[in-house]
Amino acid sequence: MPWVEIYRPKRFSEIKGQNDAIEKIKIFLKNFQKGKKALMLYGPPGTGKTTLAYAAAAETDSEIFELNASDLRNKEKLKAVLGPALEQMSLTNDNKIILVDEVDGISKEDWGGLPELVGFLEDANWPIIITANDIWDKSFSALRKECELVQLKEIDYKTIKDVLIAILKKEDKFMDNNLLTGISVKAKGDLRAAINDLQIAVGMEDPSKILENDRNKEVDIFNALRVIFKEKPNDNTLRIFDSVNMPIDQIMLWLEENIPAEYKGAELQKAYDALSMADVFKGRIYKQQYWRFLVYENILLSYGIASAKDGIKRGFTNYKKPERILKIWLNNQRTAKKVTIARKYAQHVHIGQKRAMFEFPLLRLILKNPEARKELKLEKEEEEYLDRQN
Amino acid sequence: MVSEIWTEKYRPTRFTEMVGQDNTLKRVESLTKTNNIPHLLFAGPAGTGKSTLALIVVKELFREDWRENYLELNASDERGINVVRDKVKNFARTKSLGSVPFKVIFLDEADALTPEAQQALRRTMENYSSTCRFILSCNYSSKIIDPIQSRCAIFRFKLLEKKDIEKVIQKIAEREKLSITPEVVEMLYEGCEGDCRRCINLLQATAAISPSINADLVSTIISNTKPKDIKIVLDYAIAGDFQRSRDKLLDIMLKESISGQDVIKSIQKEIWNLPVEPEIKVKLTEKTGEAEFRIVEGSDPFIQLQALLASFVLAGLGKG
Repeated sequence: MPWVEIYRPKRFSEIKGQNDAIEKIKIFLKNFQKGKKALMLYGPPGTGKTTLAYAAAAETDSEIFELNASDLRNKEKLKAVLGPALEQMSLTNDNKIILVDEVDGISKEDWGGLPELVGFLEDANWPIIITANDIWDKSFSALRKECELVQLKEIDYKTIKDVLIAILKKEDKFMDNNLLTGISVKAKGDLRAAINDLQIAVGMEDPSKILENDRNKEVDIFNALRVIFKEKPNDNTLRIFDSVNMPIDQIMLWLEENIPAEYKGAELQKAYDALSMADVFKGRIYKQQYWRFLVYENILLSYGIASAKDGIKRGFTNYKKPERILKIWLNNQRTAKKVTIARKYAQHVHIGQKRAMFEFPLLRLILKNPEARKELKLEKEEEEYLDRQN
Repeated sequence: MVSEIWTEKYRPTRFTEMVGQDNTLKRVESLTKTNNIPHLLFAGPAGTGKSTLALIVVKELFREDWRENYLELNASDERGINVVRDKVKNFARTKSLGSVPFKVIFLDEADALTPEAQQALRRTMENYSSTCRFILSCNYSSKIIDPIQSRCAIFRFKLLEKKDIEKVIQKIAEREKLSITPEVVEMLYEGCEGDCRRCINLLQATAAISPSINADLVSTIISNTKPKDIKIVLDYAIAGDFQRSRDKLLDIMLKESISGQDVIKSIQKEIWNLPVEPEIKVKLTEKTGEAEFRIVEGSDPFIQLQALLASFVLAGLGKG
């Protein structure tokens, strides 16, 4: 599991660097009564908005009831979603907090019902928490007036560093002090980014390389993604990757990760058609070593994906860093021992390694027997792998 | 040393201990008795006794020297035919020990080799025919090229029948002091589908939980150890939840270590169970075929599969 998930704070007392915000939330919850305004937590990515909402729920012994984009389309839809929950409440009298997460990430068409939502929920008995990155867009002004605003600041690098050190201690890992400072500064207030970097760096042969992969680059890629996903395609779209200081393969991963955040239905399918065709050309370049195919890969990725949408898109979208490579890497770390166990077993019982992998769930049970483990001459780490997963 | 892994502990070591495969057994036994065997090709499903019979043959031929005169390779594990050829060359270079004038090489899952690799294998078989005999095993003899088939005596292995599986279970239950019911035998037989290795593994896995075994316990083990279904990925896509669909896809591919091609295979079969119009099924099949072609050609499986899922999202909206 990613460390950002494992070490996500559960309680207010565990949250670092947001004391002002926590005080305001406490007051909000204490004074909450029917008909009050909603609370809006806003601030840059990785500052703890969602974490604060969940911690608020834990502190008040409440259940989080999360509404997603499509629930917000209109009142009827909303009633349909909330109806059963309302009834439930009257039966069990459980506390609930309604969370509308990343409201500015919701696409325009889904967003229409939001002011209506706020009005509607004012009649409800539960506090509402809304999170957002950037609320100063004109189209948010109505919503802004309906909410009590709490700003979250970028977390200063010393606090970030303290958190990183605490995680390293729990993981029983060590890292050079200068490197820790480097990671903390580089994150520019984004704690999530810093923890992700830390986890990757710990696994690298030369952890200091993590600083070379500067997050500055991401300013360019964010801009390029905005142009492609939001604007009408034009001649400049074709040259958009020139301004991105990143190999095309990596740009492709960013596009892949973020297409579904912007496109739905037919747009989604068209965009993936362009992306997958670009990938086909990428394969042909490697296979034939014919580099002119790069032209097609480029056009499909930029203009191709940009032209998949109808018209233009508004609002702010919080683009995510590609997670696939990290997930594959983490999985490989995790399953490395599985592979070596399967290999030993396969040789021992005269079968192929692939079949041993396939039979692994049964093997796991069979290898509860310490004698069987001894027989396969399993190493300490391999035994730990078997015990951990049970 | 007695093995604690039951598939080894209870692996037959003589012809008389084998269950099922009566005809094959008799013919192989009489060939072995002459102390001179031709190349053999064992064809049949997994867990029906191919490796076991090969081991019995070499033990019968070489007695206590069998380890020195026997090489076991798995075609799906060895990286390419050149590795196979080198290992064979090293092994065949020295003369056999004892009275039998040849050594034996067992090449498991020979149908995993491409036709070109099989041609190379054929030449290797010829080059060392004076010093080596090959026993090849495969699931389907049709996947073995004709020139190899014609050089081998072919033996077919069938899935084990219920009475044979039952014999195996009863024997193990007695020796391991397990208490089992007749329903357990039924359930194990259905769960293993005539694959004796899987049957014994299921039995040992269940016994690892409790020595008193009932049908419920067996059925829990069977369903818990089944590989996760790709169907749920399509269900999310058809319901319009693309994000969750692709997260689940990556999750399953990583956790179960299955390849893009395996996923495509399941998707292709699953299309016919989807709640969409017939013409959309045809369109989806065409898209699936195209995705498979691209993956085979060397494209990134995960990207191609995502594009395919996007088509399923659209199909879920009633469009093609």
